[in-house]
Amino acid sequence: MTTTKSRPAPEPPADPEEPRIPDPIALDALATAAPRQEYFGFDIVPPPDRPPQTEREVEVYTLGDGEMLVNMGPQHPSTHGVMRLVVKVRGEVVIDIDPVLGYLHRGIEKLCEEATYTTVLTYVDPMDYMSAMHNEHAPAIAFEKLYGITAPRRAEYIRALVVELNRVFSHGLMMGFLALDIGGLTPILYGFINRDEVVEMLAAISGQRMLFNFFRVGGVNFDTNDEFMNRLGRWRANVLDNVEMNEKILTENEIFRARTRGMGTLTAKQAIDLGVSGPNLRASGVPFDVRKAHPYCIYNELEFDVITHPEGDTYARYMQRIAELKQSIHLIDQIVDKMPHGPVQAQVPGIIRPRPGRAYAAIESPRGLYSVYAISDGGPNPYRFRMRDPSFISLQVMPKLMPGHLIADTMAIMASLDPIMGGVDK
Amino acid sequence: MDPAFVESVLGVGRFLAATTLLLLLTVPTAFIVGQLELKIIALMQLRYGPNRVGPRGMFQSAIHGFKILAKEDQTPDRADVPVFTLAPWMVFMAAAMSMLVIPFAPGLVAFDSDIGVIYFFAIIGLSVVGMLVAGWASYNKYALLGGLRSAAQMVSYEIPLTLSIVGVVVLTGTLSFTHIVEWQLEHGWAVIWQLVGFPIFFIAAAAEINRTPFDMVEADSEIVAGPFTEYSGMRFGFFYFAEYVALFIMCGILVTLFFGGWLAPWPFPAQLDGFAGTVYGLIWFFLKTYLFVFIAIWVRATLPRVRVDQLMGMAWKALLPLALINLFVTAAVVLIFKL
Repeated sequence: MTTTKSRPAPEPPADPEEPRIPDPIALDALATAAPRQEYFGFDIVPPPDRPPQTEREVEVYTLGDGEMLVNMGPQHPSTHGVMRLVVKVRGEVVIDIDPVLGYLHRGIEKLCEEATYTTVLTYVDPMDYMSAMHNEHAPAIAFEKLYGITAPRRAEYIRALVVELNRVFSHGLMMGFLALDIGGLTPILYGFINRDEVVEMLAAISGQRMLFNFFRVGGVNFDTNDEFMNRLGRWRANVLDNVEMNEKILTENEIFRARTRGMGTLTAKQAIDLGVSGPNLRASGVPFDVRKAHPYCIYNELEFDVITHPEGDTYARYMQRIAELKQSIHLIDQIVDKMPHGPVQAQVPGIIRPRPGRAYAAIESPRGLYSVYAISDGGPNPYRFRMRDPSFISLQVMPKLMPGHLIADTMAIMASLDPIMGGVDK
Repeated sequence: MDPAFVESVLGVGRFLAATTLLLLLTVPTAFIVGQLELKIIALMQLRYGPNRVGPRGMFQSAIHGFKILAKEDQTPDRADVPVFTLAPWMVFMAAAMSMLVIPFAPGLVAFDSDIGVIYFFAIIGLSVVGMLVAGWASYNKYALLGGLRSAAQMVSYEIPLTLSIVGVVVLTGTLSFTHIVEWQLEHGWAVIWQLVGFPIFFIAAAAEINRTPFDMVEADSEIVAGPFTEYSGMRFGFFYFAEYVALFIMCGILVTLFFGGWLAPWPFPAQLDGFAGTVYGLIWFFLKTYLFVFIAIWVRATLPRVRVDQLMGMAWKALLPLALINLFVTAAVVLIFKL
């Protein structure tokens, strides 16, 4: 594989004759560290204490009277993947919170820069694993802009159909996870039952259940088939009943309301200042939806309104997702009605070499504005490939929302922001 | 030999036999309640639940028990070892010992005390000490938070729980569980007389034994497993046992106090004589108790958990005044109508 990218030359191998000079700082740290421990005959050298690096760290890690640091995660049962929250508490009241990220970093952006444009679409699936279809959609649009082609009309409709299906199960599961973090055991199972029907449907069209690998530059991999349409019809017949059954346990439940109303209120100004997007932003009353504001795919041909809830608390974020779930089902009806005939894949060569240039594509994922910025240098793989993941942006509002609430509420507020760590850490 | 001495030796022997039998009874009780919980929650969540071990998965919770026995028993490095070791034992014994005063059938009660009610609440309250010291001795912040939560929660809920019982005690004029059941044979089930007392008791009992929606102590999405975080092996098993046994006992006490204990409901004869009467009473007692166990599991599958401040607010602002009013009205009715 040839690339025009300039990469630093590898360091020459160390000369074995040259005496190795130990780092004095490291030696000093070792000398002052805790006494040596032994574990089955092996010496364990604990890492040296790391002094705080920024003013913010000094603020979080300095304890006042009666305060305690509780380390939640990365193996805590309800941190939605591997996330660490350093929570400063006084009794049960959260004083401050410091989210620590990076436990799931896989270097996907770098991997994508080493892959051809076609194979990039296989790497981005496991980023935000609850919305794999959306992950593929954004780079597909960006690469089509780079290469200067458009997908056929039928392919665009199939794309819109599968991403809306994906949004339905993502929002359905969020209801379940929120309930689970509040202590309700059952909604998550109902959420997974509904998800399973959608996922089997998507497996019928794409061949895989979770990481679909369905989008291609210039179209989609397969046309719809009988099994997919059968499953779609059967699912559509009872999906609203199923959602209602799930909702009945939560929405009107007195305990659920008491636990979520007025909790973690995010004002519209805060949300805009911090770059929050998607359902979290709309639940604060800001009517911004990428599908409406910057229409892509076929969304300007569909009828829908931007749903907002003015309150901005955990309950509003939950209601926002339910409303959007129902809106997606409504969109799916329209898409299936209007779907044209025709090919599903434009003519593209096996290895795509776009002209040098740059392209940006933004879509509305279940978690917000999901965008891709790709630079081509004329080679077969992107020179630079950057993804903006909305979960990462949503996480930075947590230190604003949580102080003053109880430990129990931190998990509820976090679940209502619906972050997926696969997308946060990339 | 002195007949008094023989009598006392027989009494001690009888007491030991009853205690041993009840301790042995806790094992199948914990397994049955655990199995019911697995199966009923599965039913409500539209899944199969355990269906591999034994016919229809019947031995799943027994296998859980054996698995716990086979696990390594670990103690954290900086734990307070004697207290850490004693805590599960205290919690389990509190649950097992409180079984002594439950009348299962006419004449079938291990310790037919005149102050059974007081004994029961004294002993069941001991489990809070076990939880608190388990949280303290574990040297773990989650355990500490859980232990303190358990202390706050159980101490607050003891008060409405006990006050809701005093209504029944005033009504029946006795502190013996057996006499309370016998009173209900004449006057009808106490729940008819205690329409407010029964829900207060049910809610407070759920909080007392840390059942959802009041399982603040081991809120798994917040503080991992509360005081049990650092426990493993059979020590954890004792907590696990105690939880299910306590659920059974609370439902048994609820049936005894409000739903006529061993008495059969209306279309059936309330009580039979002789050995048949014992079996008959046992059957009805277990039927009614497991009905309430089912309701507790149903609640667990349905409701989310309340928050710790809402929990305390409910105890002091709603349940306590209601229980006091209930007690006052009951006492007034007893005085006026000379029941």
